[in-house]
Amino acid sequence: MDSKVKEIIARVLNVAFDRITDDLSSGDIPEWDSVGNLAIISTIEQELDLEFPLEDLFDLTSVRSIVEEVEKLTNV
Amino acid sequence: MFDAPHSILLCEISRHAIETPDKVALVEGDFQVTYAQLMARIEQTARALLALGLKPGDRIVLAAQKELSFVYHYFAAHLLGVVNVVVDVASPRDRLDYIIDVVKPSALFSSGLEGVNGVPCYSFNRPESDDAHSADLTWPTVDVNDVADVMFTTGTTGVPKGVCLTHANIAGSASNTNGFIGTCSDDIEALALPLSHSFGLGRLRCVLMAGATLVLVGNFANLKSFFSVLDAWHVSGFGMVPAVWQYIKRLSGRRIARFAEQLKYIEIGSAALPLEDKRLLMEIFPNTRLCMHYGLTEASRAMFTEFHANAGNLEAVGRPASSLVEASIRDDDGNLVANGVDGEICVRGNMVTRSYFKPQDNAGSFYGDWFRTGDWGHRDDEGNFYLTGRKKELINVGGEKVSPATIEDAIRSLGIADCACIAVPDPNGVLGEVPKAFLQKDDNQVTFEDIKQQLTQLLPPHEIPVEWEWVDSIPRTSSGKIQRLKLKQ
Repeated sequence: MDSKVKEIIARVLNVAFDRITDDLSSGDIPEWDSVGNLAIISTIEQELDLEFPLEDLFDLTSVRSIVEEVEKLTNV
Repeated sequence: MFDAPHSILLCEISRHAIETPDKVALVEGDFQVTYAQLMARIEQTARALLALGLKPGDRIVLAAQKELSFVYHYFAAHLLGVVNVVVDVASPRDRLDYIIDVVKPSALFSSGLEGVNGVPCYSFNRPESDDAHSADLTWPTVDVNDVADVMFTTGTTGVPKGVCLTHANIAGSASNTNGFIGTCSDDIEALALPLSHSFGLGRLRCVLMAGATLVLVGNFANLKSFFSVLDAWHVSGFGMVPAVWQYIKRLSGRRIARFAEQLKYIEIGSAALPLEDKRLLMEIFPNTRLCMHYGLTEASRAMFTEFHANAGNLEAVGRPASSLVEASIRDDDGNLVANGVDGEICVRGNMVTRSYFKPQDNAGSFYGDWFRTGDWGHRDDEGNFYLTGRKKELINVGGEKVSPATIEDAIRSLGIADCACIAVPDPNGVLGEVPKAFLQKDDNQVTFEDIKQQLTQLLPPHEIPVEWEWVDSIPRTSSGKIQRLKLKQ
């Protein structure tokens, strides 16, 4: 799941896969702005058929936190 | 003190450096710069620019990033009468090539770009020149009506237009804005807007003119980080576009309400804000000045409204920003129309551009000294102005102005016979408008998904159409212009 989520983030932001490290956070690179962040959220929800709880969105600020949230929601 | 009578902004920074030398002017991460340091570094940078051989009237391209050295270069150029051409560091290469071809800059400053088209490229962190601390220099003589900045906007034809703003224009806009919002030296503002756009760059000028403190923040993407800045600096104001408000609502709910008591003002602009959001902001921020501007790069912050003060009239875009600004509604011949009758919103005043960089772009843009905004609206008997539509056809995606022609060119390059793009409301209710593409159906078996996928290589994400439709043909006038209004029906 880790690499699938990173692949989506890289594709949505149109940046190289190897730039999507665990510690990368929204706002760290110009491509990951608010529009990019919304696109990441909606693409992951769509492609992985899940829905992030509204109360969790505020805390999804890094690649690691997004991967962990997806793993929690998909019981991986 | 700067000997720069042409720049009220520099004179004000200089005054703050003398009266409140230790006051923090700018914050970037762990770095803080006082007004005394700011003045010294602007002067050092100006000496470095002089050492490069730059002289008044020369153009330099600044690929803006939110960093202190950008600010030094920006104001150093003003000191020398060198013209800043401020661009987004993430600009598509063809846009940058076009801008460089038009303005023929003497140098390009960037932290991320390589040399372009043979123009010498320098890092913003360029070391000081050897004579940085030499004896006093005589700074060049510059006039208040000389061009200070050229900001490139997107024209309806898809070709960017360079807007020339004089030293008087940019100081006038800052002065009008501070007068309306009330920003003063006690304020601490967080800037998460991009400095490459008129709104963000304007906030920088307003804060420094007021002698306040500006905390540079990457962007709004990481709201946790933005909120921690509001906490740590006890921030009293910030600017945002409507799409950012939708983003804040979606990702943080009402968490921002805990800052209501400390926030003295919020400036909003660049796109329309739904009425229900104006009411929600008023509810969350009962004591905050909620100031929404109407303006364009050519006429920055032409009008303002404050939601609480105009609670009974939230539909209005406001009134002229100061006594030095006028607005009027005119028909296609430039004649004034009666109150209540729709026409083109025209403005004139201290902040209004006098000319585009290419004089031929001035055609159709002015009635005398009145700038034609291209926006449609009317005025009521009390002098409030209302926006009823946009004559120009740009698509306003979350504050980013997208030219339909740019998208259409990209789609046609994929082998689609004909197409047209228009603005439609964002189905997710976040970005305001998003592009919709109409494609002429032919024997091609290509799918919308195929086209979208290929467009990711050609366009930034916000320019890729969200809605798609096949049509038998694209409606066009006899002269070949796309009839977009027909597509909207």
